[in-house]
Amino acid sequence: MATISKTASTDVPKTGTSSKRRRREALWFYLFVSPWLIGFLVFLFGPMIASLYYSMTDWDSFTDPVWVGFQNYVTLITDDPRFWKALWHTFYYAAVSVPLGLVLGLWLANLLNKQVRARKLLRTLIYLPTLVPLVATAMIFRQVLAPNGPFNDALGLLGISGPSWLLDGDWATPALIVMSAWSAGAATVLLLAAMKGIPKELYEAGEVDGASAVRQFWSITLPHLTPIIFFNLIMGMIGAFQVFAQVYILVPKGKLPAAYAGAETMVPYLFDQAFGNYHMGYASAISWLLFLVVLVFTLIAFRTARRWVFYETEVK
Amino acid sequence: MGKARRGQGPGRLRAFRATPFTYATLIVVAAILTMPLVFVGSIALSSDATVNTNSFTLFPTEFHWENFTRVFGSELPMGRFLINSVIISLCSVAGQMLSSGLVGYAFARLRAPGKNTLFLIVIATMMIPTQITMIPQFILFRDLGWVNTYLPLIVPNFFSNAFNVFLVRQFVSRLPSQLDEAAMVDGLGFFGIYRRIMLPMLWPVLIAIGIFTLTHTWGDFMGPLIYLNDESKMPLSLGIQYITSTSAAGQSPSWNLVMVGSILLALPMIIVYYLGQKYLYEMDISGGSAGVK
Repeated sequence: MATISKTASTDVPKTGTSSKRRRREALWFYLFVSPWLIGFLVFLFGPMIASLYYSMTDWDSFTDPVWVGFQNYVTLITDDPRFWKALWHTFYYAAVSVPLGLVLGLWLANLLNKQVRARKLLRTLIYLPTLVPLVATAMIFRQVLAPNGPFNDALGLLGISGPSWLLDGDWATPALIVMSAWSAGAATVLLLAAMKGIPKELYEAGEVDGASAVRQFWSITLPHLTPIIFFNLIMGMIGAFQVFAQVYILVPKGKLPAAYAGAETMVPYLFDQAFGNYHMGYASAISWLLFLVVLVFTLIAFRTARRWVFYETEVK
Repeated sequence: MGKARRGQGPGRLRAFRATPFTYATLIVVAAILTMPLVFVGSIALSSDATVNTNSFTLFPTEFHWENFTRVFGSELPMGRFLINSVIISLCSVAGQMLSSGLVGYAFARLRAPGKNTLFLIVIATMMIPTQITMIPQFILFRDLGWVNTYLPLIVPNFFSNAFNVFLVRQFVSRLPSQLDEAAMVDGLGFFGIYRRIMLPMLWPVLIAIGIFTLTHTWGDFMGPLIYLNDESKMPLSLGIQYITSTSAAGQSPSWNLVMVGSILLALPMIIVYYLGQKYLYEMDISGGSAGVK
């Protein structure tokens, strides 16, 4: 042990350590990561295999599953208008809410990054909506977006007569987007934290060159934030594709059939097939298609990222 | 990393100067974002008569404070909902804090064959939608007889999750490795190093993980919706939705009491954030600073 300690303490990479020590270290590693490893196998990997199998069966979860091969997938893609509608609503929601959230978040973070008085208070007020749990937010927006609710009152002040949002199939998805914009402050926190990490010298240099505040934002702030923007984009996208509670609560099923049909996204549809109709096999197939959609979009984002995400050479 | 020179502050730089326009925008935005919360307060203070006619006002015009005590009476089991939420959330927080620290530390420091592959798997799992595992997990917990208990909502948290492992690993990677080496010279084993050296330094990131877990479990809706049927076992998040969906046909739900419930649901999050924000901002996972403060 003594010789090992000596090697370790003289900053030499631990090449001289004995294989016994290495084995012991490896053993401890596996012991330490066993919670994750077991969790991965029991709650993720195992269920994924099971779900892949279920997706190729006709199964109500009470009787034995009946193998049907790719039938569920074929039906979903060729013969299920409700699925295509759900897919379209999911795209629609993600395509508007994610960029909107990013732009709003970026804009607010940039404002809060200035030397404003009462910054702490303002930061808190902007972050406050993020702290309200989704269920409560949905409850709140059922009232805010009521036909004679405050949102339409505010639109009225601008001379716009608002639609009856949640009662109208065409406006139910925009209503969900309005609610998502309310929580744009979530992105603000990360962006603001990253903004504070940008070296001030860059701005000083920009100043010397006579760059305006706007120019400094585009040339200094924004390029430095691209990794965080990218992170938010990915997470936002994944979140948007999985939207559930918002739809389930904001547009309650059954009470407003037209509105619900106009807003149903993929996860509520999956949920309804699984726990409403007990079509476990069919629902599993939906979950795999959802995964595929998320995967494709994430890969596209990573592909394009090379062109616009700017990584500083890391100093180590 | 660059820091603003003391005494001068970045305010003299154009990019950081706040113009009246900045203030005006911020105030308008803050007001718009605060309005729904004012409206919640207004509904929560409304009388039952106002609820029946749906004639809510943005700013409160009536003050039925008794609504806040009514929800704990015989009318609604909101006290029960609250206790359920607390039990589920605190157990989940404990589970994540206990497991994520160990796993993250091991990924950051210990060397073992297969480690890099495993870490790639950790990262990859972050992309998998929970819905894929939802149905098999439901079957698993149903076969274990855990449906309509808190267990399906709590137990998986004791196995950490990818994001938290990643956070801890990032955090530990930035702590000087001389610390562990010195401890090893002093004869501490790996667990000793973790418990005596690492754990005390991990608090900021563990508290952040606790906050994230709390936020997630406290507001979680889908989990309880799948696993809990008994009203007496529901957490607040599911409970308030349950109240609105089960009100008699043609009768509007007691929106005033539902909004009291929404306030009860939001308040702990606001308090936790207020108390814990310094950990969230200190954690700084974006790279750059040393991480030890």
